[in-house]
Amino acid sequence: MSAALLSVEGLRVGFRTADGGMVEAVRGVDFCVAPGEAVGIVGESGSGKSLSMLAVMRLLGAPARAIGGRVIFDGEDLLAADEKRMRALRGRDIAMVFQDPQSSLNPALTVGRQITDVVRAHRGVSAAEARRIAAEALERVGIRDAGRRLASYPHEFSGGMRQRALIAMAIACRPRLLIADEPTTALDVTVQAQIVDLIAELRRELNLAVVFISHNLQLVAEIVDRVVVMYGGKVVEDGPVEAIELAPRHPYTSLLKACVPSLTGPVGPLTAIEGAPPRLGRLPAGCPFSPRCPDAAESCSHQMPPLIDEAGHRTACWRPR
Amino acid sequence: MSDLRKALNGLDWSGWLGAGIVGLIVLAAIFAPLIAPYDPLALNIEDRLAAPDASHWLGTDQGGRDVLSRILFGARASLSVGIGAVLIGALIGVSAGIFAAYKGGLGEQAVMRIFDGVASIPLLVWAIAIVGILGVGPLPVGPLLLPNEVKIIVLVGCLFSPVFARVTYAVAKRVAGADYVRARFLQGASHWQIVVGDVLPNCLSPIIVQGTLLVAIGIVIEASISFVGLGVQPPQPSWGTMLSDARSAIYSGEWWLPVFPGLAISLTVIGFNLLGDAVRELFDPRSEARTLVA
Amino acid sequence: MTGPILSLRGVSKSFPQGGLLDRLLGRDSRIVALDAVSLDVMRGDVVGIVGESGSGKSTLAGLAVGLARPTSGEVLLDGQSMAELMRDHAGPWRRRVQMVFQDSSSALNPRKSVARCLGETLALRGVPKAQRDSEIAELLTLVGLGPEIGPRLPHELSGGQRQRIGLARALAMKPEVLIADEPVSALDVSLQAQVINLLSRLTRELGLTLLFISHDLALVRTLCSRIVVMRKGVIVEEGSCLDVLDRPQHPYTQALIAAVPKGLAGRRTPLPVRAEAAAPETREDIHGAA
Repeated sequence: MSAALLSVEGLRVGFRTADGGMVEAVRGVDFCVAPGEAVGIVGESGSGKSLSMLAVMRLLGAPARAIGGRVIFDGEDLLAADEKRMRALRGRDIAMVFQDPQSSLNPALTVGRQITDVVRAHRGVSAAEARRIAAEALERVGIRDAGRRLASYPHEFSGGMRQRALIAMAIACRPRLLIADEPTTALDVTVQAQIVDLIAELRRELNLAVVFISHNLQLVAEIVDRVVVMYGGKVVEDGPVEAIELAPRHPYTSLLKACVPSLTGPVGPLTAIEGAPPRLGRLPAGCPFSPRCPDAAESCSHQMPPLIDEAGHRTACWRPR
Repeated sequence: MSDLRKALNGLDWSGWLGAGIVGLIVLAAIFAPLIAPYDPLALNIEDRLAAPDASHWLGTDQGGRDVLSRILFGARASLSVGIGAVLIGALIGVSAGIFAAYKGGLGEQAVMRIFDGVASIPLLVWAIAIVGILGVGPLPVGPLLLPNEVKIIVLVGCLFSPVFARVTYAVAKRVAGADYVRARFLQGASHWQIVVGDVLPNCLSPIIVQGTLLVAIGIVIEASISFVGLGVQPPQPSWGTMLSDARSAIYSGEWWLPVFPGLAISLTVIGFNLLGDAVRELFDPRSEARTLVA
Repeated sequence: MTGPILSLRGVSKSFPQGGLLDRLLGRDSRIVALDAVSLDVMRGDVVGIVGESGSGKSTLAGLAVGLARPTSGEVLLDGQSMAELMRDHAGPWRRRVQMVFQDSSSALNPRKSVARCLGETLALRGVPKAQRDSEIAELLTLVGLGPEIGPRLPHELSGGQRQRIGLARALAMKPEVLIADEPVSALDVSLQAQVINLLSRLTRELGLTLLFISHDLALVRTLCSRIVVMRKGVIVEEGSCLDVLDRPQHPYTQALIAAVPKGLAGRRTPLPVRAEAAAPETREDIHGAA
């Protein structure tokens, strides 16, 4: 555990409500990422997956804020760090790529300017050197004619190229951890495949630790080493990708796999999970999945099951499969 | 009904302050005949230019008329121009904005370019120029004789219409492209049913915000054209004419003559602005998150 | 009587590009969204139309349902020209084709309750007031919702419930052809399956003809009997769903199939060696598959 690059311990994120109360959206989340390891965080909307990572980056905006736990990055508690320290870490040691490449780039500045700004802010190099690094990064993410492309504006790029440019910006300072929040959701499927390939490749070559947030277990399983499944603000299962894919223990994980149809095998009605993901502030007292769980016993809704570790495969379920 | 209660719950202290000021002034205007201590037009040469005291709380003017009473009655002119003009402006501008957004094509271009043209010259310049050309007093429109005050209301209303048109157009363009409007179209609903039932109700929030803020501007415009002698005619009280009459008093020391009408204008404008900002805050989609979580 | 219920004959659609000034100066160009597309849809067919952004699949949906008119070519509804039918905006033909939209948050008027939304639709179909309440209840049951949903506003519903209401609204017109434009792409994975199963059941039970527009090949495979693959405004491949997906002929179809995430089977990085992981033979199997 001490070898972890990022270790999230008991993280809790809450929303302040209009009447002064507090609604918890992330309710005590633990997981860690080893150097060079790729971890997928999988969950539906409201699972708290994106909020957790925003909390790690200290990018939560009001009314959300981290209300408990620790985020240890390379031995340092990020939740306790001051804003100046965070600014130095963000972009240099930890980089983040968001879902919508359109709104993540400033339409009024050239792509080159936006990458060199990041490089100069963190590496204190000359303008010429920053341009060289930026061109190299663009080239690295597979944009041809990178030197000339630096002068392009975001609108001259396609959606896939914009996401590549954002990844270039993220890796330009040689971070140790890349957090990708649904980086392909806004893209076409063929472009999605290319971006996933690119992230897998960069990770190998730069020995980058990657946290890949997605709602798509099949997609995540193509590139990560370990999968963390979240539901209702909790980690419900966390294990090696083979185990999650081949022998999931939590009923939610196995149903999540079953309700996505495949391109092979017999055609028939899909396995559906009844009901809908829980809404904020309306979470059951016990296991958050118990109202929808086909395996649930009456007792499941009374107490939250602990996350039990069996040889590196953790499951929070009273009645694991 | 529940919408209104939710709206009131969402007001912050500045919103309440604005609503309070506006409420007080509206009440004062409505009940001016009951609460004004004197006849606002009654001349009383013995009491002329009396400083504020127990009998004349805000003093008297050159004709010995009670300043407080004139301010209370003046609120009627100010508010009727402010609110009346906003209603007329909204009627014209909202219809045009929705028409342009919903119709599209050349009609859209034509309507919006005309309003852009009008909006390219400042409101006050338009107002003074047009009143100057039309002249003071009632305006004959065909067989009708438009009273002076109504003329000003209609004029300022027309000048407000481009603002409403642009605000409405911007939001109606988005609403008209929403899938629920398409769905209504596919069900065979008439254009009238779609516009009145689906497009307009979803455009109202920014229109109401804009309207509240424009009342304040309307009040300033009324005061301005009355100040230059083109608006409300003496001896009828108006905050603008009171200020205008008080010009000489600035040098002779009767400070209450300019100060109190000026305060009335400022207070009313601040009231409507606070209210408008609070209403905007209320309708802001970002503030939706608060109610969503709760 | 056995002709296609919906038929596109050499249909093209292009949009002008550029502002008013460009148009006046004759400098405008046009974007071709659909280029001479022909397609016959038989009664009872469940057709999947797949493609990426810019393929023209949504434009095709709009033309088929009468939201827009083609620039050239003809759309026929049961042998009758759509252009002719559209002269009577609210004509009885309107009932025959209906649409389910993608984004469930903009598909419903935020200020209308579910009951009002469905009631207004029934009114347009000419259902007398006295019968509307019972029909609303029937529609809600049909899409798997209870009557307690009636008074709710769209923001009080979950994404899956909103999409069901969108479906109920389309069904309220008693259509023969239903066009669903990416009806589940905005939904959570666990809700997608619910809506797909519902669509599948309703298509069968009501004998609907369904045009299912999607970018998700696996969903199309589950739901549809025929598939039409589109790219840049033209149809590149069409045929029986299982045939095309199992033996794709066109390189673009092959590329689309290759891009579908496949979990461990589509592994892009080698699995880490783990002493404590699954039994050795299982791991070898996985490596072999990858």
